[in-house]
Amino acid sequence: MEKIKLENLHFSYNQETPVIKNVSLSIEEGTYTTIIGHNGSGKSTIAKLMIGLLEAQSGSIIIDRLPLDEAHIHDIRNRIGIVFQNPDNQFIGATVADDIAFGLENHQVPSEQMQNIIETYAKKVSMSKFLNSEPTKLSGGQKQRVAIAGVLAMKPQIIIFDEATSMLDPQGKAEINALIQEIHREENLTMISITHDIEEVAHSDHVIVLDQGQIVMEGKPEDVLMHDQKLIELSLDIPNALKFQKELWKQGVKLSPCITMEKVVEEVCQLRFKN
Amino acid sequence: MPITFQKLTHEYNAGTPFSYLALDHIDLNLQEGKITAIIGETGSGKSTLVQHLNALLLPTEGSLKILDREISASEKPKHLKSLRKHVGLVFQFPEYQLFEETIAKDIAFGPKNFGASEEEALQRAKDVITLVGLDESYLERSPFELSGGQKRRVAIAGILAMDPDILVLDEPAAGLDPQGAKEMMELFVRLHTEFHKTIFIVTHDMEHVLRYCDEVVVMDHGHVKTTCSVSSFFQDPSILKEMGIHPPAVVSLRESLREVGFEIDASILTMEQLAQAVAKEVGHHE
Amino acid sequence: MNNIALGRYLPLDSCIHRLDPRAKIIALILMMVAIFLPAGWIGYALLGCAVLCLTVLAKLKMNFLWRSMKPMMFMLVFLLIINLFMLQNGTILFEIGSFPIYSDAVFQTLYITVRLMLMIILTTVLTATTKPLDLTLGIEHLLSPFKVIHLPAHEIAMMISIALRFIPTLIEETQRIMKAQASRGVDMEEGKLKEKIMSILSLIVPLFVSAFQHADDLANAMEARGYVPDRTRTRYKQLHMHIGDYVIFAICFLILGGLLVFLWI
Repeated sequence: MEKIKLENLHFSYNQETPVIKNVSLSIEEGTYTTIIGHNGSGKSTIAKLMIGLLEAQSGSIIIDRLPLDEAHIHDIRNRIGIVFQNPDNQFIGATVADDIAFGLENHQVPSEQMQNIIETYAKKVSMSKFLNSEPTKLSGGQKQRVAIAGVLAMKPQIIIFDEATSMLDPQGKAEINALIQEIHREENLTMISITHDIEEVAHSDHVIVLDQGQIVMEGKPEDVLMHDQKLIELSLDIPNALKFQKELWKQGVKLSPCITMEKVVEEVCQLRFKN
Repeated sequence: MPITFQKLTHEYNAGTPFSYLALDHIDLNLQEGKITAIIGETGSGKSTLVQHLNALLLPTEGSLKILDREISASEKPKHLKSLRKHVGLVFQFPEYQLFEETIAKDIAFGPKNFGASEEEALQRAKDVITLVGLDESYLERSPFELSGGQKRRVAIAGILAMDPDILVLDEPAAGLDPQGAKEMMELFVRLHTEFHKTIFIVTHDMEHVLRYCDEVVVMDHGHVKTTCSVSSFFQDPSILKEMGIHPPAVVSLRESLREVGFEIDASILTMEQLAQAVAKEVGHHE
Repeated sequence: MNNIALGRYLPLDSCIHRLDPRAKIIALILMMVAIFLPAGWIGYALLGCAVLCLTVLAKLKMNFLWRSMKPMMFMLVFLLIINLFMLQNGTILFEIGSFPIYSDAVFQTLYITVRLMLMIILTTVLTATTKPLDLTLGIEHLLSPFKVIHLPAHEIAMMISIALRFIPTLIEETQRIMKAQASRGVDMEEGKLKEKIMSILSLIVPLFVSAFQHADDLANAMEARGYVPDRTRTRYKQLHMHIGDYVIFAICFLILGGLLVFLWI
């Protein structure tokens, strides 16, 4: 089933330069989609359009069969959660527990049920020990985990990660990436991740490539990421596995193309075994 | 002349209940004329260390020799401004330090503070704007109209305009997209090779360390864990593992292949060499 | 920045810490009224004793209270000097050179000093024993009856709590920008007037830019998590009045009533 459907979307901040040009896309329920593109390609704008933080000049957005308009915006926001880039600017509460509670309060969850929900989701993101901690005492990765708990606690059907790891140190990045993968495995959620991390793209179900506000490539990662020349033209990274496979070809070793490191190691081993 | 740290200690809020020992008796020699990466976990003391290089922070114990200056905890240093002209420090997210109406004025701000005349300073702005990859037409525009990556270039140009001998950068590529990060790092390499600047880069990105840097200093809990050349650093993955550092792709691939029984030399640091070694081994059995 | 005592929360464990913030705010208001009664020296001695007991119960150190009062010292000295010139009534206590010092001037100043000290100590006890968030929650509850006259009690409380939440972030940012500009040769202490103005601009402009960025992002995050300003929200933190809270009320009413009766006679 189609969970998200955008049709002929146009958006610009001022009249002159359009940020999103005629974008149509559909995202299936329960899939993990990554959106890539260089800075300024319109990735984050699409996320903001989907949750109605920005309003498109023309075109339509349908989420869970509901059109995104004045009448349905609150309903739609109940179904979509988003985790933003800057860990500091989305920590609203004075403590971890307060921050997870913020969305619940807005959705008018009865006070006596909150403690239970807060504890459940704090545990899910391994932040149980920090319920009473203030944001200044937490690392960037921990703050992002709290943001994820806050979003999950509202039981969304769709969750968007808008460059959620780009301001974190490598440890924070690894933590959050592992958490994203875990959520993908365990929860039946439609997930969209806006990212620069080509290795993350390789592990997703579907990838959308944006350039200057338009979709230029779309499909399964193993198909899209093969077009390395095109990716370089769009000033994007190519997967390390593919870089290595190209080098092997130059040496006369005909390895079939692959986009993840695990796969490369496996293939090389098989090749050695065969010979 | 090397930069020498002697038993340098820095304690924040010394003598209060909030005191925090960020650097603990550091002994360190840093060579001029290289690109040196300073790495370590968040909170390991990297930023505190580099802020001593232009005396934004002063040692609470021990001393530091840099250029022809000695800064020690025992005497109050004078004329710090002259040191700051020669050691340019670019903070993390430097785009947040822009404030002037035009880019030209913002870039000229530093040189003017260090005594350059209005004309000289504006000339410097013209010189450096192209260096950071923007053209002169930008000079009369407002810095606040630019994209994030462009703002950062302008901020860095503002430091380059001071013409420092030593350039210190705290995570200059953080938050940029891969292409932007690559161009940024290539700029520093150019400053090093063409203009002979000594460069220190605080970074978390091991791909950058491997590709662009000569030397590496590893900080850990306020101590210098190790200093060595980049090539020898990535030969021994045990220290990376011990410190929880995610190695560059080529190193992790090399190690994965070694684990499954390939006999690959640990000194291999490029995809090309790695492919050659694998081809040789796969070919052996043909 | 870490030496400021006024308005700072001290995470200790005392019976005053555990009181309901509403009880503490009302008690503070009652005591403030009592302080403003012209109670005479006996009245102030009584109030002083009560305040002293309170600080001991709250486990606050004298040194901490002294630090919170320090910023007022300048004002008091200034007040004394003005009084010495303006109030030339009462008996002459002594003369400095040919300038007479009148008893009224000295007593007036002392009077005000005692009142100010008591007020500052009481306020410090409130802020030092109540988490900022609980304080805003208390204010919100106490203001909620005024919703009938369209006072946006909830919005006010939300604004205060967000401001409190971002103070540490903005302090950190200020320090970073100051260092970044110092690296560009800014000297905040020395220099001519024009240079000083530029130095201040180089700090203020970036600070505003980043504050607006924070505000923008935060507004998006709040909206995305379903916040609508005038819609009813449930609350996670619930306030409960206990026996101790009523005891505090009783004591404050007794003190205020006692003083009123005392003045009547």
